[in-house]
Amino acid sequence: MNLVDSFGLGLLQAAVLLALAPLLRGTIKKLKAAFQNRQGPPLLQGYYDLAKLLGKEPVRSDVSSWVFVAGPRVYFATAVAATTLVPVIVAGAPLEEAGGILVLVGLLALGRFFLAAAALDTGSPFGGMGSSREMAVSALAEPALMLGLFTVALWGGSLNLGDLVRTTAARGLSAHPSDLLAAAALFIVLIAEAGRVPVDNPATHLELTMIHEAMVLEYSGADLALVEWASALKELLFMTVLVNLFLPLGLATGVGAAALAIATGLYLAKLFLLSVGVTLVEVTNAKLRLFRVPELMSASLGLAFLALALRFL
Amino acid sequence: MSAAVWRERLGVEGLVEERPGEWVVRAELSELPALADRAAGSGLRLASLFGTDEGEGRTAVHHLWACAEPPGFVRVWAVVPAGAGFPSISARHPAANWFEREVMDAFGPVPAGHPNPNHVSLHDDWPEGAFELRKDFDERRVVPRVGGQYRAYRPVTGEGVFHIPVGPVHAGIIEPGHFRFGVAGEPVLYLQLRLFYVHKGIEKRFERLPWRHGLFLAESISGDTAVGHALAWVHAIERLAGVEPPPRARHLRVALLELERVYNHVADVGAIATDVAFTVPASRAQAIREDLVRSHERLFGSRLLRGTIAAGGVKCDLTLRSRKELMAQLARLGRDFKDLVSLLIDSGTFTDRVDGTGVLETQVARELGVVGVAARASGLDLDLRRDQPHDAYRGLRFEVPVEEVGDVRARLMVRAREVEQSLSLLAQVLDALPDGALLSPLPDALPAEASALGWAEGWRGECLHWVRTDARGGIDRVKVTDPSSRNWPALVRAVPGNIVPDFPVINKSFNLSYAGNDR
Repeated sequence: MNLVDSFGLGLLQAAVLLALAPLLRGTIKKLKAAFQNRQGPPLLQGYYDLAKLLGKEPVRSDVSSWVFVAGPRVYFATAVAATTLVPVIVAGAPLEEAGGILVLVGLLALGRFFLAAAALDTGSPFGGMGSSREMAVSALAEPALMLGLFTVALWGGSLNLGDLVRTTAARGLSAHPSDLLAAAALFIVLIAEAGRVPVDNPATHLELTMIHEAMVLEYSGADLALVEWASALKELLFMTVLVNLFLPLGLATGVGAAALAIATGLYLAKLFLLSVGVTLVEVTNAKLRLFRVPELMSASLGLAFLALALRFL
Repeated sequence: MSAAVWRERLGVEGLVEERPGEWVVRAELSELPALADRAAGSGLRLASLFGTDEGEGRTAVHHLWACAEPPGFVRVWAVVPAGAGFPSISARHPAANWFEREVMDAFGPVPAGHPNPNHVSLHDDWPEGAFELRKDFDERRVVPRVGGQYRAYRPVTGEGVFHIPVGPVHAGIIEPGHFRFGVAGEPVLYLQLRLFYVHKGIEKRFERLPWRHGLFLAESISGDTAVGHALAWVHAIERLAGVEPPPRARHLRVALLELERVYNHVADVGAIATDVAFTVPASRAQAIREDLVRSHERLFGSRLLRGTIAAGGVKCDLTLRSRKELMAQLARLGRDFKDLVSLLIDSGTFTDRVDGTGVLETQVARELGVVGVAARASGLDLDLRRDQPHDAYRGLRFEVPVEEVGDVRARLMVRAREVEQSLSLLAQVLDALPDGALLSPLPDALPAEASALGWAEGWRGECLHWVRTDARGGIDRVKVTDPSSRNWPALVRAVPGNIVPDFPVINKSFNLSYAGNDR
């Protein structure tokens, strides 16, 4: 593929995932509501909210600087850029030659850094609280994410996600303890990164208990829409990496219409299954005491380390 | 007989038994602190403290003490000359802290020797010299607002130590109150409160109402305590009028008060789960509460049991059939609620959040005069239903659950165990409801220049209404003491040492009313 084609393909993939992301959140909300015998918001509520927010003028504090404006934009841009490195339904990512695992983790870290800096920018105590909490959590989530991905990389002999997916797809389903441990570690990272119970509560109205939401409390209008959309995209991205690395069934290797259709169907089914898993964790747990969150993240780190060590046995 | 007991214990000559269970003595102003020490020393607990306008610029300060043996209340009062202050007892009896400052805010006299003699109910834009409860203050006049610097909060200093201001407008649909946390990172060093954002002048309003209409105001003091406050009010009126409600009414009142307790406790248990993001039990609790309040609407015409109590009796009745229905529903509710509580306390992530969180120590609770659920969760064995029984409680069997630890879990468990007791009380009352009238006739007028105290153990704690009539038998002064105003200062003591994200669940475990406190 030439560069122009892969760039175009990358944009297309990012657009499709962006369009899909609010639906994923809506699905989890619906599932969660079902467990509570509630009806829950409409599946498409996420889209309505985005449309509403995008149509509103953002309100910005007089004392904030360009960092506050840049925060949501960098966060959104890095999340979109990261999607182009990830294989979705085809065993290969559009821009996989541009970078692998390290670039992916680095892009997400860059986005988070900007959002945390922007939250500090207004000088509101909630922003500072949210930033410090988010950074404390990600300081432990990031190494766990790297180690978990390295475990798979060791098997595939490459840091490139496209290569990895092709190797795992060729190898088929694996029940190797190392894979299971790495999957568990990455699942915990997913819970933390997506701001879900027991780490954070995406539905809370209690400003004092929030992590991610406290950080973005000052945002409104289109700024807030970007943050929300990017967060949903990030969650979808993590779930995609997880299902494609550890359940590499049905990824299309060619470009035939039938193969692509099957791959799409399987991808959506796998996402749904993982959403059910996330929902089950959310409804069966209370949120952890903030100072216990590092313990959970350390557990994830420990699992990832074990997974890596098992590769050498 | 008991008047002699009190004369001896307090060492005062003039003490008389004004009505059964109400002893009154007028003291010299300077004697008040010594009498307070003696009262506290002989096992009395400060239940309320308030002022009255005695004309010609004079104010009276009343100390109201509660006692379990013999059951009743002792009121010690003294007149403050115009322009003078009154001796404060707050330094030795911290329960008087807010009360004395409220006397200052509403009548003018300054509590001399008060450790923190600042406004409590008045905000900074209220003009100096406007005292709302004085007779010469016209509440229909618009009070001009004054500008100026807001009263400073206690500053924090040190590396990494800062203030977090929260409210009065909150992210959720709750009442307004301002919380100012002094924090070092996540741990809270101290908490300051500023309330009275929804002060409505209810006590003043009573003075302009015909006494028969006071009930409507009483049941609106705090929306979730309609029965508790209505009962406290009608008890005061009935004691003034010398009326005893018929047995059927007294039993129905027990049923109504316990139904109010059940629906609120169930909702609170669910709210505690909500605040730690434990969603399934939270929505189950909501469903249980909703079923119950719908039955209230069907049986009594009001989801929150308004308009059920009348002076002299009750306004509603239960037929045999509706009693049977209600009993069947309550039996179901009991089972569902039991499941709900075990779902909570069998979950490790839940108990980890509530155990040891927001501890209110017994000693602190006693000093601050904490009442109700919060008191019983901190090892104080207090309950007006047993200690100073009202309505039909004297003849009913029930226990008063007490927990020792004083943390969120203890307050949750007190609620859970009280629901069991309430269901047992309801079963006793509904099973054997005496026949007869629902109302005793009231006299045309209340006695002139008389006063009486009405009390009831609401679901949150004790509700007290002290009512005094004027020369024509109209309402001269009403002092409403809501359990929330007793317990807010305790929250300030329960929070420090915890981390900021645990504050909402601690606050919810107290679940205090802003409306009831601010009045």
